[in-house]
Amino acid sequence: MANFNIDADKALTYDAIVIGSGISGGWAAKELCEKGLKTLVLERGRIVEHVKDYPTMNLDPWDMEYRGGLTPDQKEKHPIGVRTGFIGAANEHFHANDIDNPYTEVKPFLWVRAHQMGGRSLLWGKQTYRWSDLDFEANAKDGHGVDWPIRYKDIESWYTYVEKFAGISGEALGLPQLPDSHFLPPMELNCVEKHVKQRIEKEYNGRNMIIGRVAHLTEPLNGRGKCQFRNRCDRGCPYGAYFSSNAVTLPAANATGNLTIRPFSIVQSIVYDEALGKATGVRIIDSETNEEIIYQAKIIFCNASTLSTTQILMNSTSSRFPNGLGNDSGELGHNLMDHTYRVGASGLVDGFDDQYYKGRRPNGIYIPRYVNLKDGPQSDKFVRGFGYQGGGSRAGWGQGTNRKDFGGEFKDKIMNPGPWEFFITGFAEALPNHENKVYLNKEVLDKWGQPTLSIDAEWGPNELAINAQMRIDAREMLERAGLKEIVDFDNKHEMGYGIHEMGTARMGKDPKTSVLNGMNQIHACKNVFVTDGAAMASSSCVNPSLTYMALTARAADHAVSELKKLNL
Amino acid sequence: MNRRDALRKTGMLAGSAVAIPSLFSLLQSCSQTPRLGWVPQFLNEDQAQFISSFVDTILPKTETPGALDVKTDIFLDLVYAKTYSTEGQAKVKADIDQFNADCKTKYGKVFAELSSEDKTACLKDQEATTATFNRGVWGTAVGAQEPVGFYRQLKSQALWGYFSSEEIGKNVLSYDPIPGEYLGCIPVSEVGKVWSL
Repeated sequence: MANFNIDADKALTYDAIVIGSGISGGWAAKELCEKGLKTLVLERGRIVEHVKDYPTMNLDPWDMEYRGGLTPDQKEKHPIGVRTGFIGAANEHFHANDIDNPYTEVKPFLWVRAHQMGGRSLLWGKQTYRWSDLDFEANAKDGHGVDWPIRYKDIESWYTYVEKFAGISGEALGLPQLPDSHFLPPMELNCVEKHVKQRIEKEYNGRNMIIGRVAHLTEPLNGRGKCQFRNRCDRGCPYGAYFSSNAVTLPAANATGNLTIRPFSIVQSIVYDEALGKATGVRIIDSETNEEIIYQAKIIFCNASTLSTTQILMNSTSSRFPNGLGNDSGELGHNLMDHTYRVGASGLVDGFDDQYYKGRRPNGIYIPRYVNLKDGPQSDKFVRGFGYQGGGSRAGWGQGTNRKDFGGEFKDKIMNPGPWEFFITGFAEALPNHENKVYLNKEVLDKWGQPTLSIDAEWGPNELAINAQMRIDAREMLERAGLKEIVDFDNKHEMGYGIHEMGTARMGKDPKTSVLNGMNQIHACKNVFVTDGAAMASSSCVNPSLTYMALTARAADHAVSELKKLNL
Repeated sequence: MNRRDALRKTGMLAGSAVAIPSLFSLLQSCSQTPRLGWVPQFLNEDQAQFISSFVDTILPKTETPGALDVKTDIFLDLVYAKTYSTEGQAKVKADIDQFNADCKTKYGKVFAELSSEDKTACLKDQEATTATFNRGVWGTAVGAQEPVGFYRQLKSQALWGYFSSEEIGKNVLSYDPIPGEYLGCIPVSEVGKVWSL
């Protein structure tokens, strides 16, 4: 790949600035560059070039000195990462330093950050599902939050557009609550998953169990290789088989010759010009030199990730916007959402002792939402809904820990595949709630002397009612599917652990109650676009990243069209 | 040579007695080395003796290498030295000392010096009286985990140290770093031992 142009200081003026280079920022960069705009991407971390900067991508456990274990120094830098359990020696370098970048948990909240080029697109789960009108109409229907300014028909073609480039594998089913994507061939279910699927679909009218829809290539696409089933995605994929900014959108943006990416650029604020009535640039702090620089552009895409985007907007004050850019409604920072998960059930499956599988599939099963649909069963305990992820596998040598034996015979036994286990864990929609909020904390400053965020959010009664139902339903499904030794669970985790934080700068029809319009523009500052998770007016129960991609491509198209009409 | 033949071949190699010098042969060949045969970075001599003896009892040499053959004891000492917090380090030392003290009370000697019958009896007693880990989902235990205690934690570490070693991971278990495909239903006989990765 050609080197990225990182010499931003030669020119201080661009057509467009994109703040952040994660999933949505990468898409903004690609779309704007391809439409001919000289685009500056501001990245607060370092450059991570595809393949070249994936130092652990091929390491086996024994290639790492502590075989994946972290040293006390590493753990000290990553208290949040350690709490999530997602961090290890193989991916530590892709997790942000929690000490340099503190935040305040008014109530417990896990905020997982990845401060480098590509952001969390290097670490994400890759589950990709379209939202449906069940989601876009939900707020209007039950009165929680404000109505979305868009419907499925507004975004449908943009889903197709981004899917064709990102590469989404899955199976088309024609379910109205989970519209089909433009699919590459699906990954395969294993024997036990096929068996459980058959049982569940027979036992329950209207329930489906499908292979997960994922942003992994099952066929080569645009020079990227297909998934090799190593399941080492969070180290960076040498084949470019899963969607990341590093492997997919940023190289495409770079190929236009229009991209400049400036690393080590912490965005302090967006500069608003009172006379012009629009934003004129972005003020950054160079994280290595502490130098302050202002870059100017006609349009600004803020894609720093949900909470960082809101933090930047809150920090962007002016006499027109004393409470943060675009915050006429007072809703900036409010309505923070996430998905509950780690509520479900696990059990053993008898038989299939002579069956096994090959490959480490970076994917599992999905059970789409089946309650509170337009037709079918309605709950009297909660609004909205939930789906499940999960999967089946045979126990490996780890089964030895809990076995009641040891010694030579034991050792040789656990070298053979153990019992088949199968689990499902729910993902529940969270309601937009004004009381779940973030705000600037000027008492706690980060390493660069900037105000930090206080996060004050917790699950409400509706989310807890869904959790209770998810647990009951999970056990019942596994029982009716004939599983044994079933354990149901609710790990009662704090918000943020789903790493699907959404809201805090929501889209809406009315500037009095929302921050962004139906094209992701700040109502009162139309040359600033927010197309990451901050924009979401509700949370659905399905994974949000694909919707960020589609909203971003749509907004970029609108931005360029408005620029051409001299409207911005 | 296809992959299965390769596996069979390496499996035979691993099972042969000449391929891997055991701790015993090391000790015999060099009488000047310390009793232990290796110099712990963190544990004291008695504690290191305990770890060596423990991992050897859980995972002795059979037709496949034992924990000592792949230096599981040396690895665990390294893990304690380099990845544990100061508190964690103090705790593991205290836990080993306590385990040895209990052995002395019950069997008259520290664990490493017990007869193999008494070692077995001692660990059987631990198995019968200690909690197990909850089932895990995506690497996290589900539900409220009751404390499992030192024995089961150490057993878990012994398995990790043993199975994540290059010799076992590459040459004994079924090793396939780049599967290239996912096949959901294949006869277990086509794979043989459990996948190492």
